Amino acid sequence: MSRIAKLAAVASAVAAGAFGISACGDDDGGGGEGDTLIWGTTDQPVSYDPAGSYDLPSYNVVFNVYQNLMQVPPGGQKPEPEAAESCEFTDEKNTVYECTLEDGLTFSDGSDFTSEDVKTSFDRNLKIADPQGASSLYLNLKDIETPDPQTVVFNLKASDATWPFLLTTGGAAIAPAEYPADKVQPSDDVTGSGRYQLEEYEPGQQTVLTANPEYSGDDPAQVDTVIIQYYDKSSTLKQAVEQGEVDVAYRSLSPTDIDDLQGADGVDVLEGPGGEIRYLNFNIDLQEGSDEQKLAVRQAVAQTIDRDSIAENVYNGTAEPLYSMIPAALQFHTDAFADEYGDAPDVDAATQTLEDAGVDTPAPLEVWWTPTHYGPASGDEYAEIKNQLDDSGLFDVTLESTEWNQYSEAAFTDKYPVYQLGWFPDFPDADNYTSSFYSKDSFLNIHYSDPEMEKLLAEEKASTDDATREEAFAQIQQIGAEDAPTVPYIELSQVAVAQDGVGGVEDTLDPSYIFRLWLISKD
Amino acid sequence: MRLPQWLRPFREARGLPRWILISGIAIVAFFVILAVFAPLLAPYGFDQISTDGVRFPKQASPDSTHLMGTTVQSTDVLSRVIWGSRTAIEVVVLAVVFSLVIGVPLGLISGYVGGKLDRTLVLITDALFAFPYLLLAIVIAFLLSDTALGQGVVTAAVAITVVYIPQYFRVVRNHVISVREESYVEAARALGAPRWTIIRRYVFYNVIQNVPALATLNAADAILTLAALGFLGYGIQPTDAAEWGYDLQRAIDDAGAGIWWTGLFPGLAIVLLVTGFTLVGEGLNDVINPLIRTQRIERPELPELDLAPAGGGGAIAEMAGESEPHGEVRRE
Amino acid sequence: MSGHGTSLRGYILTRLALAIPTVLILLTLVFLLMRVAPGDPITSALGGRVPAEELERRKEAAGLDKPLPEQYVEYLGDAFTLDLGTTINDDREVTSIIVENGSATLELTIAAFIVALAVGIPIGLLAGRYRDTSIDVGGRMFGIVVYAAPVFFTAFLAQLLFSNVLGWLPSSGRASPVVEFELNKVTHFYLLDTLFSGSWSDFWDVVKHLILPAVTLGLLVSGVLIRLVRVNLLQTMRGDYVEAARARGISERRVVVNHAFRNALVPVITVAGLQLAILLGGAVLTEQSFNWPGIGAELVRYLNERDYIAVQGIITIFALAVVVVSVLIDLINAFVDPRVRY
Repeated sequence: MSRIAKLAAVASAVAAGAFGISACGDDDGGGGEGDTLIWGTTDQPVSYDPAGSYDLPSYNVVFNVYQNLMQVPPGGQKPEPEAAESCEFTDEKNTVYECTLEDGLTFSDGSDFTSEDVKTSFDRNLKIADPQGASSLYLNLKDIETPDPQTVVFNLKASDATWPFLLTTGGAAIAPAEYPADKVQPSDDVTGSGRYQLEEYEPGQQTVLTANPEYSGDDPAQVDTVIIQYYDKSSTLKQAVEQGEVDVAYRSLSPTDIDDLQGADGVDVLEGPGGEIRYLNFNIDLQEGSDEQKLAVRQAVAQTIDRDSIAENVYNGTAEPLYSMIPAALQFHTDAFADEYGDAPDVDAATQTLEDAGVDTPAPLEVWWTPTHYGPASGDEYAEIKNQLDDSGLFDVTLESTEWNQYSEAAFTDKYPVYQLGWFPDFPDADNYTSSFYSKDSFLNIHYSDPEMEKLLAEEKASTDDATREEAFAQIQQIGAEDAPTVPYIELSQVAVAQDGVGGVEDTLDPSYIFRLWLISKD
Repeated sequence: MRLPQWLRPFREARGLPRWILISGIAIVAFFVILAVFAPLLAPYGFDQISTDGVRFPKQASPDSTHLMGTTVQSTDVLSRVIWGSRTAIEVVVLAVVFSLVIGVPLGLISGYVGGKLDRTLVLITDALFAFPYLLLAIVIAFLLSDTALGQGVVTAAVAITVVYIPQYFRVVRNHVISVREESYVEAARALGAPRWTIIRRYVFYNVIQNVPALATLNAADAILTLAALGFLGYGIQPTDAAEWGYDLQRAIDDAGAGIWWTGLFPGLAIVLLVTGFTLVGEGLNDVINPLIRTQRIERPELPELDLAPAGGGGAIAEMAGESEPHGEVRRE
Repeated sequence: MSGHGTSLRGYILTRLALAIPTVLILLTLVFLLMRVAPGDPITSALGGRVPAEELERRKEAAGLDKPLPEQYVEYLGDAFTLDLGTTINDDREVTSIIVENGSATLELTIAAFIVALAVGIPIGLLAGRYRDTSIDVGGRMFGIVVYAAPVFFTAFLAQLLFSNVLGWLPSSGRASPVVEFELNKVTHFYLLDTLFSGSWSDFWDVVKHLILPAVTLGLLVSGVLIRLVRVNLLQTMRGDYVEAARARGISERRVVVNHAFRNALVPVITVAGLQLAILLGGAVLTEQSFNWPGIGAELVRYLNERDYIAVQGIITIFALAVVVVSVLIDLINAFVDPRVRY
């Protein structure tokens, strides 16, 4: 007994000592000094080889480590040359795109960056066609010619005015020709020509970037070392922010976390326009009744849904009401749904719509959503939507949910009559938000098809002329609102939280979703 | 009136074990009442977010209209705690019944019949034991959630059942093996009693004494497993039913913002109910297990003698016995 | 006792031999469970962005459509050569996941185990020694309540108190980001690695990060230990040799300490080892609560992504670990207790 008691006494003394030391000891919590920036995030990457990934967390590093021929500047709406000096379509039909590279480009290992590297980057991406990669975006590429080390010519199979945008995507980042032609480069051994280079990668824990001394552009990195620290829950990330353990938190904090941090000392909550939309899909074949009745139901939902309430109550203002499939910050956006149905819920009009079509109310609606892909607020979102629709007296909503894997198979194979989806841009152009949904071959598989729509989509894709595209998109959005096969309701703003003394973060929060570390500075 | 054989230990229990048992039963009964009368007791529905067209405030702290505050989805915490009792009791009852109905007969038959069947079953259950139970429950809940059963009460119960069948099987089987060598069983066999009668009359009643303690302790574990599943997101969705583990998961976020009521109350509910079941189990163990049960026996009055003290009270009255430790049901 | 040696050896061989079918069954179970689950890693990552035929094409390219029996045989073969493969979604070697994340979990479980022993054994002994007094009741209630509180609830309260309100301890990760980056990871056990690096501030940083998770998980297991130790002590105290010691006039105190305690603890040690299963299960929840980059957290993540290569590999190692430990313990038991033989 005495021996054990002694042991216990010693143990508690040690513990007390440890507490004492830690309590009055250093409080800096590990935040970096002036030349180290710590970025906390919950998103974990897949691969740092442009040919091996199609997800934002991977691209967050790719955009900082590599360069693209064209890139969207901060806050801009159109691509501009980055690694290239100039680029343009050289034929009338927009199928031949020629780029001239900047002089003096080098990779971080000192090797030259030439047109050969561009060619191999695209060739290997398409050849490897990694299941996790974005090769499907570039299928329109027929071949690439490299007449000299400074010139690249892209030959496309069909006209595509969005090709310059496609060049700004993560998959189009230029990697050295030394990368294997038939498999993905390991993520901890990547080389690019961007503002930063990869120092270390520990999956699930950290990615460390250091400034690339070989970078030849005029916007080099301002902070020497960036440590990207991974957290698997937003609540722990938030605690890390409060404890000063991270300098910047970007993706993803929950609306509750953000709300709370708004009032906190020493941190700034920064918002910028986003491009992440949320929308309801109606599988037209699975709807009940005649075509008119189906249309009436869709329109009535569009008229009843209270977008402001969702944005405020569920997202605490970090989302905005959305009246078109195209986010508000993008060129060619129009508030089509507001134009068609008003910008506030109009239950009377909805009642009328349903009455005119002879739909009995309350109309039963089976709405599906998934808790495991669009963040924990999805549950709150759909509880809110259900309540709005039920309270109007016009609908009787049954909510169903399944986890993502099951959901993503079932939703597109005619199993769900009405279902939730979110969309995140491949590139910030209106085409990415329309042809993906409204075309008859859309992956949504909602059996929507309108010949006028098809024509307009082809038109906007083929033209580089702003006026033509503007006209086309205006009509596309109008038809989209009239037919309402999909009903968009909110777009999420981009939110980042930064400690005092960290600057430049708000400059990079734009719909391109490129987190430009080189714009960030630290005192 | 003679008490039935199996009730005798209860009657004979005195002192502390009795109190443990009673307080445990009281706690469990409290939650069962909450569960059964939830529609009457809970002020609101488990996913109700408004009344008379007025929305509940979101994440409001406890006040007179919402005694335990509201959640991020604007639901009432008190109501969800009460409705959560219903979910918990439902799942526990289902899980325990399923496991008993499958595990006990399996153990009985396997233990008594022996041979290849026994060896195979033991191998399989040993393998299942090696599987960390939470992972097994997660994987099963996963699989079932994609089938027709969906992510409801039955799925959670089945996931828990699969994890616990080996427990019952193992305990019952071991006990059967030791009992079947007893002389009275041998005698019955020698007298030509049919196998089934032997199992039923001698083995079963003997073995069954262990089961209630095991069942209540497993009920306690079942609630923890259910909460763990809910916490990880493989459990029951909030629009289907109220479940404490899920509420705790959403509350973790709230804690960082100083919103303590959404997590504290469901958490306390779990602790209380599990404690209740455990107390019942411990009490039963203390009472039923002859190895550590104390009996009140009148100590004979002895004349005062100048001898060295003979040790702690009750030493004469306590029975000696030896066996492996019991009461820890999670391992072999 | 003639034949002692041979029967022990025989026991060892039999026990080892029996472990093999156990492992086989486990592997098959894991395989079936993962293949039967709907969904696959490709759809998990790309569903909703990519048209259906493209998904099919990629699935084919990844070899996800080979017939099940063929996959099964491949899987068994790989498992026996310990070639656990590379994860589908993020191209990591499964063995490296196990080494890096497994050591995190191991560090946590060992620390938790130490806490559990340090808390559970004394309280259990006290409760048994002073049976039916308030010490006993207090100790048992503590053990019960601590076990009844789910790990994530305890974690929630601990984080609230120690991280938010008091600000003494960090609430996530194994070390601060800068320390993490600069550490030379030789053994992947950060406590050891920081000692090797010679930096005291780094060592303290790691210790601070370890305290909350280890104590949270350790308390949970201590609840179980308290009960166990107490019951064993009660039974031991009735043993004949204890009676004999008492009859010889040895003071109660020495009886208890020198004879009863020691003997009560022997079976407890072996049983405590079998708590590995609890610890591994509890570790999953603890890791989630504290952002501890352990193997439980990875498992949950890969499970969500339907990356069955990763899941298979991890669960296989888990199960093998538990089998190995239980065989070892049975062998120790057999060595110590001659009654246990086949």
